[in-house]
Amino acid sequence: MAPNPTDIRPVKPEERELALKREEQTNIETELAECELRAANLRAELGAFERQYLHFVGLRYAELDELNAQVAEEIAKAQPGNERAQRTAREARARASKTRTSAGEKTEQEPKPFQASPELKRLYREVARRVHPDLTSDRDDRAKRQELMAEANEAYVQGDEAQLTRILTEYECSPEAVKGEGAGPELIRVIRRISQARGRLTEIEAELQELLRSDLHQLKTRVDEAEKHGRDVVKEIVGKVDEQIGQAKRRLENLQQRVQA
Amino acid sequence: MEVDEKTKGSHIVPAGPQGLAVRSAALVARGLRDLARNSNWLTTKVFAGRSPHAAVSADGHVCAVAPPAKNEAQRVVLYDIERGAPALALAVPNEAISFGSKLAEKAVLAWSPSATFLVAAWGLWEPSLHFFDLQSKMFLGMFGEFAEFPRFASWSGMGRYFALAGSGKKASLGLWTAGTNAMVLAGPALRTIGPPDWVERQDIGDEAGDQGTFAGYGRIAFSPDERRLAAGVEIQGEWADDEILFVELPSFGAEKTFPAQGHITDITWTPDSHYLIYCAAGQAYRVNVETLESESMPFGAELCLCHPNRPLCVCFSSWLRNSAKGRLFLVDLDALDVFDEQPAENVVDLRWSVDGSKAFAVTRDGLAYSYEPPF
Repeated sequence: MAPNPTDIRPVKPEERELALKREEQTNIETELAECELRAANLRAELGAFERQYLHFVGLRYAELDELNAQVAEEIAKAQPGNERAQRTAREARARASKTRTSAGEKTEQEPKPFQASPELKRLYREVARRVHPDLTSDRDDRAKRQELMAEANEAYVQGDEAQLTRILTEYECSPEAVKGEGAGPELIRVIRRISQARGRLTEIEAELQELLRSDLHQLKTRVDEAEKHGRDVVKEIVGKVDEQIGQAKRRLENLQQRVQA
Repeated sequence: MEVDEKTKGSHIVPAGPQGLAVRSAALVARGLRDLARNSNWLTTKVFAGRSPHAAVSADGHVCAVAPPAKNEAQRVVLYDIERGAPALALAVPNEAISFGSKLAEKAVLAWSPSATFLVAAWGLWEPSLHFFDLQSKMFLGMFGEFAEFPRFASWSGMGRYFALAGSGKKASLGLWTAGTNAMVLAGPALRTIGPPDWVERQDIGDEAGDQGTFAGYGRIAFSPDERRLAAGVEIQGEWADDEILFVELPSFGAEKTFPAQGHITDITWTPDSHYLIYCAAGQAYRVNVETLESESMPFGAELCLCHPNRPLCVCFSSWLRNSAKGRLFLVDLDALDVFDEQPAENVVDLRWSVDGSKAFAVTRDGLAYSYEPPF
């Protein structure tokens, strides 16, 4: 039987190049998904640690600064002509207000550390690989993916596996998932997707570096290391702040007693 | 075909790293700092070796004659206490190079109240006061030429005045007023006070013996209201005690003298400018400036510095209770209560930050102590 002419059609250079680029795209998609997962994990861990820190330590600093502000105000009240004392009181009040804002409100529930299950990680990795906005060159598709990826990040932080599955299904069934036509335009699209993915990898690396350099991460590392040796670093800080709160309370009482006397 | 360029400024994460780390940054840094300290004192090593002179600024910098190091010329160097590292070497045109000279052991260092300026004299430089602008890292020039190397220099609390205490039998006390705009100091002293009158009488043989010999002016301190200057009058002699000379400002007229109880090692004013606290022979005394009534304080100290606006004093004594070890400590001047003691040796300078939120101390051995009051 004579061969079908379509079977022996020579492979065009752009098609060969497209095949190579698609392979490269698949590899970079996997790498990007891994990086996004790493970043999401670090963000979630640090976010949870930050909430815990502010709950246990930040609120205590807010209490301490409030007491310090009251002490400074008592001193300023007793020395109305002392401009420095007045300035110190104003600064102490501003600091107390700033600390209160940073520490936030006390929550009913005690914040818990972040712990991702293997299934959660698998789902996130899959979402990042399929839905990542830097893996499309279509404007509308990109906007849709950005929205879904933001939802996926939030779902990851919340440990919501069902939401990640929903995002994945929603995108897979959407018309944006349908690919375009022709080797030439597709090659350009793939090249641009690879370039965008590379750009995003650089961004993630910079973000990771920034997070790893932060005091928050340094403190978390110390807390984790100390935990292995049976020490509770957050509790130690709490103890030190409580000591300062006690001293501030005594000083305020002394000042108030002196004013009354 | 639609091929879209990457949209700039779009984020796929709900909160970026900035949002995450910045909100808590100050409180986390505070926690790390509190964790590192065993008390309200924090210790940092700022330089290795031993320096003959070191002075600490209100913003936590130490200026010191760098200890002689192998193959390295000596310099006057600024160190950052927080980083525990050199920040800047003070360069002067035609500066002499020395690898360990006796002359390098002589120095006078005086920080301006806001730590923007530094006045320095050093044995290896021209015999004048050298004026540095540390904000713009510039050497501004020399002023106040001297024959005998001076002992101490000091700025007033608001930076309006600068005084220099000379040494030797013919020592004088010099006063400069700083330019109102840039606090610039220049030229010879605006006013000077020579040796006390009795020195002249002593020279011609009228008085001698137990009175001792005038050795120059010692520690100087401006009152916080900038209406007076107190200067130690150093008197040598086995049984001789130093005096405190009170000088009125801005006239710079010698007002009165007060006989101290021994050799004065430090002078400071209470924030209300009503009392002077001085340290002599390891003991602290408080003097009412109007009546000159004096009382011994219930603690020993060689260095002391009052808080800018609270009844509080940071002190150093080389004798810890029941041992021969030194300590830094705080004194509540109302309750006369000593608290927050910290073992320390060879402390040479003390300083409060401008707002009084921190105190600093520096030792000859390159250790710097930062104190944050718990109130």
